[in-house]
Amino acid sequence: MSQYFAGIDLGSTMTKVVIMNQAVLASVIGPTGPEHRKLANRVMEEALVKANLPFADITYVVATGYGRINVPFADKQITEISCHARGVGYLLPEVRTVIDIGGQDSKGIKLKDGRAVDFVMNDKCAAGTGRFLEVTAEGLGVKLDDMGKLSLTAKNAVRISNTCTVFATQEVVAKLAEGVPLPDIIGGLHEAIAARVYSMVRRLKIEREVALTGGGAKNIGLVKALETKLGYPVLVPPEPLLTGAIGAALLGKDIVKEAAEKGETLPRSERRLQEATFFT
Amino acid sequence: MPEEATGEGLAAVDRYHQDYGSRARELKRQGKKILGYLCAFVPVEIITAAGFMPFRIKGDVNEPITKADTEMETIVCPLVRSCFDMALKGNYEFLDGIVIPHACDSICRTYDIWKYSLHLPYSHFINMPHGTGKPSLDFYQAVLNTFRTSLSRFAGREISDQELTQAIGLHNQNRAKVRELYELRKASPPLISGTEVARVLIAAMSIPVEESIKMLGDVIEEVKQRGGVLAQKSARIMVVGAQVDSVAFIELIEDSGAWVVADDLCPGAREFFSDVTVTADPIEGIAERYLRKVKCGRTYREMKGNYEEYLEDRFGHMSRMIEGFNVDGVVLYIYKYCDPFGFEVPQIKSYIESKGTPVLYLEDEYSMSTIGRLRTRIQAFLELLGSK
Repeated sequence: MSQYFAGIDLGSTMTKVVIMNQAVLASVIGPTGPEHRKLANRVMEEALVKANLPFADITYVVATGYGRINVPFADKQITEISCHARGVGYLLPEVRTVIDIGGQDSKGIKLKDGRAVDFVMNDKCAAGTGRFLEVTAEGLGVKLDDMGKLSLTAKNAVRISNTCTVFATQEVVAKLAEGVPLPDIIGGLHEAIAARVYSMVRRLKIEREVALTGGGAKNIGLVKALETKLGYPVLVPPEPLLTGAIGAALLGKDIVKEAAEKGETLPRSERRLQEATFFT
Repeated sequence: MPEEATGEGLAAVDRYHQDYGSRARELKRQGKKILGYLCAFVPVEIITAAGFMPFRIKGDVNEPITKADTEMETIVCPLVRSCFDMALKGNYEFLDGIVIPHACDSICRTYDIWKYSLHLPYSHFINMPHGTGKPSLDFYQAVLNTFRTSLSRFAGREISDQELTQAIGLHNQNRAKVRELYELRKASPPLISGTEVARVLIAAMSIPVEESIKMLGDVIEEVKQRGGVLAQKSARIMVVGAQVDSVAFIELIEDSGAWVVADDLCPGAREFFSDVTVTADPIEGIAERYLRKVKCGRTYREMKGNYEEYLEDRFGHMSRMIEGFNVDGVVLYIYKYCDPFGFEVPQIKSYIESKGTPVLYLEDEYSMSTIGRLRTRIQAFLELLGSK
């Protein structure tokens, strides 16, 4: 009988689910709302429909991400650090350093033999995360999705001196009023975020190859800005939002395999796929 | 009928920990004079010898800092601000005086603020040097003699050498008890959790030394008698940091699936693992211990020999503890704006890692609301240790 593994990554902004056996069978990406628990069920159901599997056929479920404790049907919670490392190690085995830029945090992970060995993380401050671009895009009246492309057309990217998201927004509005061209401002914003992330990750002693994951990796401007900082190209997985969920599913598979080898029975989550209430 | 927790060990700890300062308040009513102090660098022996009760002022991670903000800017160490905030809010109304050492700059430069804000009958500043050479030691001895004179003036009587020697004996005994308690952490799983130990040490700094010796003895007996009640966990952790006067952080690590079995903290091993040697002039032994034996980032140990020897001199005790307590990983926990420890972070990290033990460095803001954010990092670190 084939075994299936699900990984669910409940991030601050996006929720990601994958179902795997030997390869990824189905994946779903949806926005995370305030109601984590309801959403975890919904995206999971959607993924099951895509994979054409009943929930009972899933051997093991691992939840990760900022909302991992809010997945009532998960058999285990594992931090996004371990999951990103496992996912990137699987997708891009040559990678030694992962830079993940999420909606509300950013992190650097050092890999050895496909596993995390060290990490740094910023989740205290919006600067250096997706939120920084989200907020400043709003201030500039530009769609978030257009920011990356626009930044590439900058001729003289301005220097954004404020690392605080709120004040940086004021600063860019002031620059706009001074008549600085929009692409130069957006270019400066991308440089600012890249500088911030780079200086944090540098503490790990960056080694090639470097992979960029998370929502930030979908922004071409940010990819280029980071490449400029690093001085060489970075690798981006085909769907950079899914590495955490893939890693979660793979770690579930590892756990099941290890237990089988040792002849142990695994404690499974008692809960079924159902909408959790605050009283469960 | 279930046995009531009336023992004088862990039950007393819970009582004093929950209502910090309750014993001092009681004794105050009986006429005892209570002297509050900041930091482990106040020689409590001299206070005890003068017949006063030394009481360590602590902050509260659960209490947002509000009143202190008008007197101290937010670039001051959040722990110092929290201590002061607690005092301003009347939590230490029983104090007859305060003693503040030049431990770090945050503690030093807020002495005058404490002095004029609290208007206590007694206040004294201990101008402790930062070097460890002979001139520093001589200077420090003179400073401690000034403290002795100032305290005897407040006491209205001389503090005899005999009283000092006796107080040294008591505080050494207290430290020996703490070390005995630490021995119980060497078992796997430990006989006592890190959270419990932290609670014991916090309670101990709020009661007279004689009572602390007794309480520690009772705790040790109770823990030995209850036997191994703790479950096996995946990792044995040592916490290194400045003053951690709340159990919240230790609890967070233990909730994440590890035991905290060792530390270089205050209150903790840093404060209790070295004794005062009894010398002809008791002040000499006291000076030697506080300046040279207590290894803290606030003291600058001049580099002698090569860099490796310097690291060994400054941090060697940490690696001995890692070995002795069978530590799997070290969590280096520093408050924002703590410059003495901030300077040492890269050194501590590389020194311990070079000995083969992984280190997780965390910076925090001395507040419950930020402690929670550290959970993911701690869990990830434990996962890393597990998959090694």
